[in-house]
Parts: sequence; structure tokens; C-alpha cells
Amino acid sequence: MNKQILVALVSLITVAIHSQETEEKSSFNKIIERLNVSFESNSQWYLNDDAIKDFDEEEKLRANSYLRIDYQISDRFSSGFQLESYVPEPLLNYSRLFDKEIGLGTFYLNYSNNKLDITLGHYYVQFGSGLILRAWEDRALGVNNALRGGKIVYDPTNYLRLTALYGKHRKGFDVSDSNVFGFETQFDIANAFQIESLNSLKLGLSYVGKQEEYKSEASNPQTTIEIPELVNSFGAQLDLEYKNIYTNFEYIYKSEDVRLNNVIPNIVSFSEQVLFDGNAITWNIGYSQKGFGIGSTFRRLENMRFFSERSFLNLNNNPTTQLSMNYLPALTKQHDYTLANIYIYQSQPGLVIENYGTPLIKSGEIGESIDVFYNIKKGTLFGGKYGTKLSANWAYWANLTNSYSDPSGTPYFTGDDLTYETELLNFDDKLYSEINAEIRKKWSPKLKSIFTYINLSYNKGFLESKGADDFVNAWIGIAESTYKFKAGKSVRLELQHLSTNDDARNWAGGTIEYFFNSKFGVYLNDSYNYEESKITENTKIHFFNLGGSYTKGSTRVGINYGRQRGGLLCVGGVCRPVSKNAGLTLNLVATF
Amino acid sequence: MKKTIYILVFSLSFTLFAQEQLPNTTLKTLSGSNTTLGEIAAENDLIVVSLWATWCVPCKNELDAVADVYDDWVSETGVIYYAVSIDDPRTAKRVRPMINGKGWEFEILLDENSDLKRAFGVSTVPYTIIIKSGEIVFKHTGYTPGFEDELYEKIVALKD
Repeated sequence: MNKQILVALVSLITVAIHSQETEEKSSFNKIIERLNVSFESNSQWYLNDDAIKDFDEEEKLRANSYLRIDYQISDRFSSGFQLESYVPEPLLNYSRLFDKEIGLGTFYLNYSNNKLDITLGHYYVQFGSGLILRAWEDRALGVNNALRGGKIVYDPTNYLRLTALYGKHRKGFDVSDSNVFGFETQFDIANAFQIESLNSLKLGLSYVGKQEEYKSEASNPQTTIEIPELVNSFGAQLDLEYKNIYTNFEYIYKSEDVRLNNVIPNIVSFSEQVLFDGNAITWNIGYSQKGFGIGSTFRRLENMRFFSERSFLNLNNNPTTQLSMNYLPALTKQHDYTLANIYIYQSQPGLVIENYGTPLIKSGEIGESIDVFYNIKKGTLFGGKYGTKLSANWAYWANLTNSYSDPSGTPYFTGDDLTYETELLNFDDKLYSEINAEIRKKWSPKLKSIFTYINLSYNKGFLESKGADDFVNAWIGIAESTYKFKAGKSVRLELQHLSTNDDARNWAGGTIEYFFNSKFGVYLNDSYNYEESKITENTKIHFFNLGGSYTKGSTRVGINYGRQRGGLLCVGGVCRPVSKNAGLTLNLVATF
Repeated sequence: MKKTIYILVFSLSFTLFAQEQLPNTTLKTLSGSNTTLGEIAAENDLIVVSLWATWCVPCKNELDAVADVYDDWVSETGVIYYAVSIDDPRTAKRVRPMINGKGWEFEILLDENSDLKRAFGVSTVPYTIIIKSGEIVFKHTGYTPGFEDELYEKIVALKD
């Protein structure tokens, strides 16, 4: 079904139900009472800057804007759409698939009652923890892989939920040239069999399939095997909770498909003689009681990158992972201080073969992350009058260890018949490790501090240069204090230091933020790489930001001038990822 | 013509007033059961819903500040505070040990795929709303030190 017909159908049904259900009440006031409108605009005016390379692209003033309107047609029916505008071009680092000045991004019609929820049009969805399927939107990252088609969620009883869906992935303002099918069942075993000794016992089973015709990119295809049109993945998930202990296990199997042949980075071709399957295992276990919590997550991913069009596997052409079927994030702690966002681990879930003389096989990752939280009670020696909150995190990630056979390979060129084998549990090939701790201390009703220590080891050689191991070992110390005056006035001071003899060497940073009242605040932050190093583009440059924000209810206006190094920026009470550039930024958010 | 319609829609939207009904988005409890804000509001007359994430420092500041005075809030006004985590699968496993480790006594719900966040049209967290008798009566974006006092004044004004 093409887009015009779908839009027309959704609009027609909307109008039909509206006129039938609302009869005499359809006055203008009744209509606006049922509307929910939200608007967001992020614009940047890129400026040339002596300290970093000139902004040499044509369009210097750019904006991404979103207008979302939802309408409650009746008790059961709702409908909505999202207009998106990228004038004259999307912001830096956003996918060029969003190539329209203004266009209809998503639209839907939904029917829902106690047992049934049916959506026609675009929808977002997640099965389990997203390892098998996740359609989601993140405007800050420029990701929108909503599915367009139909989804039915049915709850026959209070312990069973069935979901069935069909759709095509959103691809910019168009849809993918493939079909996605999914089915999930969530079964609450403890509830169904009245097992009262357990707090919870749940089983989830899922299936996701992608049907796409295989198009060989080679000029004279030498295909010797049949390449599947349908790639299937199957998942099982078990959740168990007993007293203060909880655990969750998830396994995914992805059926065989060709692998990307990345002899020439930006050109898409596939090795058409061997097929590879993939799998994922994740196991989470934790214990918690009031004042203490500990959680551990183990995960192993092998050849799990899955896109609704094979050619999108080439991440040189698809850095924002458009059209991804599943969600495979790095499981390290997400920090929100600027210097803690310089060496960030990126997950390594895919099958990639680098050719530098002998092949370097990257077939996935394995690792572990543990979190501990502890609250020292008020009135104790270390708790003081107001208590002290402690947290710590440890993470370790490694490349899967592989052995391979490459009968027809030559130096610098792997053969199309290359095969590999991995070990199930081998953590030797280290990519990243981190240990961090945080202390939150309230000194008085007016003064609070947070102290953070991070010690990390980052395999830059493997993760960035695609070559041999080359570690950056660094530690970061951060101290921040907030002092609260009367009537919403407050001041926050934050000092940071990153120490390392590797890479770009030491950094110092800081933030000062002042709120005149609860609505209006200003800030200045800076990160400075103060030592000579081989990374000259960062040496002795201030990456600074100067800005302010005004908030009233759910409307927020923020303005910022600065030089961005990139990473997650958290000031003015909110966090967003930013890209490397210099210029003026204006953010506007409003809901009505 | 197409553009004119779009511009008309854009400008029209700014003159509209708010819709204050609750979305029927499915949220998960910590043990994985499904619920909606509608079901919760049907059972509790006065609730605060705060969207937050484990990686968001201002959010944790807000929840820490409210946690310090939460006992008083409950006994004085009967308000129930729902902290809805928008952590996606990257960080969602940190929610449970964190809330216990911090000793927070709020009701915790999970919005792992941002369905509620989207339904509210929220782009940044924290985002705090008050629901009275099933209707949204107050919305606020961001957290600044001392906002909890302002929030409490609103709650007191709304209690029966």
C-alpha cells in the first residue's frame, strides 16, 4: 500500500468516526480539548572559528523541527501525525535520508479497549530488551525507525499478552524496500498458576523476520549458494523475582545471511559463498533492599547487526544506524560530565573483517557490568546529619576470540569462502574496562556536593583505528557543589580533570551555572587540553559553551554559543548529545 | 498549495489550548506487569508523575530533593509520587538497584521505549506533571534547585 492511499485511509476513518461519535458536541472547543500538540525546534548557526577547521559547507544556518499532533477522536479511537522540517538541511551529523524541507514523518490511527490495541500507520515497538526488535525515535541522535504497517496487541487474560505486527521501516521520508514481520507472547506464569512463593515469573517468546530480495552488487556474481530472502530471528526471555533477588535471561538466535565484504570501505558488496548466523545472550541478576542495591549484567553478542536492508550494514555509509531492526547499545555507565565523555566505549555487535595483511575478524563482543548503590544512614559517622549516597560501577568488555580459515585469501584480500569460529566464554581480547565511584553528600539544607572518580582503559587502536591494540589509560576526577539561595536562586560549580599520558594527554574542565530564579539560568563551561600531544587538533584549545535557558511550564527556550567537542552535554537542567562544531544554537520546546 | 496547508497547520497549532486527558500508553512496573496512567489515576486522586533517567544528573537531584521531604508530603497531602524511568535497554537494568540503593520510596514505572515521553511530547528530562482527578493540571520541564518547594506549594493548593 503506498503512502498516499494510507494517509487518505487514515484521514477518512478519522473523520468518519469523529462525525459519528461526537454528533452535536463537535464545536470548536470540544475539538481542541481532545488535541495534544507538541513542538520542538533545534537550530544551529555554524560559524567559522580560528581554533578549529572552518565550517566549509554551504548551508550555515540549519534547523530540525518537529510538530506532533495527537487527536483523541473518541474513547476508543485516536489518531495523529508528525510533521518534520529540515530547513535548508538537517543539522550536522544527521542522516541525509531526512532530505525534505518539510514533510509528513509519521501518522497513525489507533483503536484501543481493555483487551485490544490496534494501530494502523506508523508505530514504535520493542520486544524484550530490544535485542530482537526495537522501533524507536531519538530526535537528538537523529534516529527514527518507526515501522509503517499494522500492529495488534491482544490481552486475552490478565496473564497473557500477544502482539503481532507487520510493517516496513521508515527510511527518511520513505519506507524500506523490505517487509518486517513480528510476533511476541508474554506469559505471566506466576500469575497464571497462582505461584505465591515467587514475586514474579514471566516468560517471553518472540519471532522477527525480514523478507528482502537479495540483489548482488557484484558485476559478475559468483554465487554458489542460495542466499535467503527471509532472515529470521527467534528469542526467549525469562524473568524471575524471589524476595529481594531478581534475574532475567534472554537468548536470541538470528538465522544465516551473507556477510558484508568491506574491502573498499564505502562500497557495498557481500561475500557470496558462505552464510553466517548470529546470536545474543544476556543475563542480569541483582539483589536490592532499602538502602542497598547490586546488579550485574553479562552480555555476549555475535554477528547481531540486523538491518531491514542489507546494504545498511555498511556503517561508513550509515553512521546513524538507520533501518536497524534491533537495539544493541554499549552496556557501560552513561556519564554526563564533559570530560567523562571523551573515551566512550561503543558496542561491537557486528561481523566485520578488516584487511591489513592478515584479516582481523571482529565477530562480536563479550563483557560484564556491575553496579552497586549504598545509602549511608543519617546520624552515623559517615552519614552525617543528612546521609551519604554512594554508588560504584565496574565494566569490562572484550572482542570475541576467533580462529579462522581463509582458503582462497591473499594478503590484503580475504577470500569469499572465509569462515571463522569463536569461543563461547573467552574474555582475553580486551577492548575496554572502567571502574567508577560516586559520592553524593548533602552538607546542609542549602549545600550539596557530588564527587566522582573514574578510571578507564580504552582500546583506541581497535575501536577507532581498526588496527592493533593501543590503549588509552586515564583517570578522571570531578567535584561539583550546588548552593541554594532563597526564591529559587542557586549557583553550581563543577571542576573536572582528566589525567593520562596517552593520546591527547591531560584535560581540565569546569562549569559555573547560576539560576536567577526557577525559570531563568545562565552557564559557562569549558574543557581545555593543556598539554602538548600528538593529537594536535585538541591541543591547547578551549572547548567552551556559554548560554542560558528560560523555562515556563512545559515551554523551554535555550540559547548557547560555543565550540563543541562532541559528547553528552548536560547543563540548564537537561541533557542532550552534541556534535563537534562551533556556533550558535537555539532550542525551543513547547507542548500545548 | 501543499506548503500553504503545512504553514497553516503550524501556525494554527500555536493558538490552541491544551488537551489534558491521560494517554493510554502501557507502562511496566519493576516486576514486569503492565499498567497505564489512567488505571493509576483512577485509584489515586492526586499524583505527581516525574519522567527521569539514571544518566540524568538534574533528574537525580530532583528525586533526591523530593525523597528528603517525601514522608511529610505524603502525610500532609496524601500525594503519591510516580517516578517514570525513560531509561532504554542500555541503562534500564540500573534502575532497580539505584532506587533501592538511594532509598527512594517513590512508585517506580518503566517507559523503556519512550512511549509515554512521546505521548506527552516531551523532549528532555526531567519532566514533571501533577494529575488531579484524572486530569493533568500542571506541567514543568527541567529541574532547578528549590523547584521541589514550588511543586509542593502546587500540591498543597490542589489537595481536598
